[in-house]
Amino acid sequence: MTAVLDRPQAPPRLQRVRTRWAWGLGALAVLGWSLAGAGAFTGDVVNPAGTGQFGRFASAALSPALDGAFLRVLADSVLVTVAYAALGAALAVLLGAVGAVAVARTTWGRRRLGWTLSRGALAVPRGLHEAVWGLLLVNLLGLDPWVGVLAIGVPYGAVTAKVFADLLDEVPRGGHSALLAGGVGRVPAALYGLLPPASGGLLSYSFYRLECAVRSAVVLGLIGAGGLGYQLLLSFSSLRWEQVWSCVYALALLCLLADVGGRAVRRRVAAPRSSGDRLRRDPALTTAVLGTLAAVVWSWWYLAISPATLVADRTGEQLRYVLAAAWPPDVDGSLLSAVAAAAVDTVQMSVIAIAVATAGAVVLAGLAARPARASAGRRLAGTVVRLALLLLRAVPPPVWALVLLFVLLPGILPGALALGVYTLGVLGRLAAEATEELDPRPRAALTALGAGPVAGWLYGVLPAATGPVLAFALYRWEVAIRDTVLVGLLGAGGLGALLASAVAAFDWGAVTTVLVALVLLTAAVDLVSARARAALR
Amino acid sequence: MALVGPSGAGKSTLLGLVNGSVPPTAGSVQVFGADPTALRGRAQRELRARVGTVHQHLELVGQLRVVHNVNAGRLSSWPAWRAAWSLVRPQGVAEVLAALEQVGLADRVFERTERLSGGQRQRVALARLLVQQPELVLADEPASALDPVLAERALTLLAGLAADRGGALVASLHDPALALRHCTRVVGLVEGRVVLDAPAAALTVGDLADFYGAPR
Repeated sequence: MTAVLDRPQAPPRLQRVRTRWAWGLGALAVLGWSLAGAGAFTGDVVNPAGTGQFGRFASAALSPALDGAFLRVLADSVLVTVAYAALGAALAVLLGAVGAVAVARTTWGRRRLGWTLSRGALAVPRGLHEAVWGLLLVNLLGLDPWVGVLAIGVPYGAVTAKVFADLLDEVPRGGHSALLAGGVGRVPAALYGLLPPASGGLLSYSFYRLECAVRSAVVLGLIGAGGLGYQLLLSFSSLRWEQVWSCVYALALLCLLADVGGRAVRRRVAAPRSSGDRLRRDPALTTAVLGTLAAVVWSWWYLAISPATLVADRTGEQLRYVLAAAWPPDVDGSLLSAVAAAAVDTVQMSVIAIAVATAGAVVLAGLAARPARASAGRRLAGTVVRLALLLLRAVPPPVWALVLLFVLLPGILPGALALGVYTLGVLGRLAAEATEELDPRPRAALTALGAGPVAGWLYGVLPAATGPVLAFALYRWEVAIRDTVLVGLLGAGGLGALLASAVAAFDWGAVTTVLVALVLLTAAVDLVSARARAALR
Repeated sequence: MALVGPSGAGKSTLLGLVNGSVPPTAGSVQVFGADPTALRGRAQRELRARVGTVHQHLELVGQLRVVHNVNAGRLSSWPAWRAAWSLVRPQGVAEVLAALEQVGLADRVFERTERLSGGQRQRVALARLLVQQPELVLADEPASALDPVLAERALTLLAGLAADRGGALVASLHDPALALRHCTRVVGLVEGRVVLDAPAAALTVGDLADFYGAPR
């Protein structure tokens, strides 16, 4: 008997999680395939002749146009952009709040079919980029301010609904289940057990959407809706680099304001002021919410929006005409093979973009995060990195693509890199925030036992940050696949370029085919991304 | 030495001052004849490696496997490349297993730490300390998540660990009986001030109970 007990036990073995390794290797393979497709290993990609123009463009950064006439034009375009952004974001949050209830797992419970169908319904508006909506809506409504507002509000509303629903679903269930178990009804249980822990996330995401809406308003300007983007494109195409930089700085300033405002609101929500035994509202939060509402009302007035356009006879007629022409979709063989080739280009562009952005974000996140205690030099470095990231995401990807075309030959690569640089601006910020939100105590404990900075980072920060950062990267990949269309609309190839030419030719049957391909592609990317994130958890 | 006192008395702050994670607002701290906040770089890390801490909230990294959390006790002596490589292919598994054996967790060595129960995590934190081999052991509520038998074993282990290297154990404790059984000296804190400093032999469980219950 003792002989059996005394037999030395086999030591436990280290087992790798197979699914994660498979995902990791798969991701590397896809990246290699994309780089090969973009000609990174073979063909010539650099255009040495353009470096002179690029130098002139870059040196104009130090001397932006500041004359009175241009500044007045600029101020006007800023106001138009802000108005579009405010109305679009307001519409999005409104649609998102309603939609979140409709697609939250909490609402559906175990009824998986209903949940899947409602999620699927969101994929259509979400699958189309704001610019695509803009392009289609212009053909319905003509040059009306509603085009800009709806083009932002509809796709953003769908994304917001999904994120709001996820935030609600990801709240730890303990408190909510306890309420339900205690006999509390579903609505009050959600109000007391789900909404309070999620409210910080919901509010900060709403402000994040407002910030994104500013950028989208600029992008819509690029396709003709007016505002800062339109001005930027005008200056760019007339080679007035000083004016381009003025526009870029104005944009960056706008984004910075939205960024700082959103962050302040988020901080306040996360750490409310102690109000002791008196019921008090936080004045800053109240100001932010009321100020935003006031901005929405002002925007309505400033853009002179009238609901009449939406119900006008001409709109209905046009809608009927386009729908009739758009169905059935064109399934001509040569079109289908063109769509397939463009879809491959689009995927490759998005993969390269997200790889560039993730690598950059991992390197910069630590620097961009605000540590609790830091030396003056560290603080300065952090501010510089944060400003650089802000500049990267303030400039819309098509503009980055135009800039990169100075030094790169046309093809997938400039589009991919433009998207990558832009996504780095967003992802770097998200990764920095994820780093800030980590529990600092494990790292502090490692420092207290004498671990060096690198080892402390490897053991105390990296393991905890990998999950959220990769999840953000995968989420941004879903966004990037939509943005590739935007870059394409302005000429970088892929499905976007195909769509632009079909719309320009009023070939509505082909437009439907491309749109269906787009929605299917984005839905497929969403699915893969969701699976990968599940494997990461 | 046992630190006793009501919640918010400054027990954790005092331990933080000693291991250098809390900078003093006034005065200075001497640990092994040096001021932990005045040193920099290598010297600071060497001093810190001699002081081992079991934190109240454990401060383990949940996403890491147990083996890495235990190995973290050796990060002060490992170069960065070795720390990085160990995350891919765990280093020094034999010592880790020996340490886990002592706390009865050897079978969980490759488990993700967040999958363990509170008491098991506490024992992982103890194993980290065993691997670190400090001379001065600071323990903030080391027995709070353990049942009486495990608490007894944990404190014996901590006291033995400190004694092996000729050093001391400073533990903040909520259980007066445990404090008297395992410590030779008892220091009572109230609102950041020392109000009691006596050999354990001169005190009874009743004397200490006053410290936790008494509102002031």
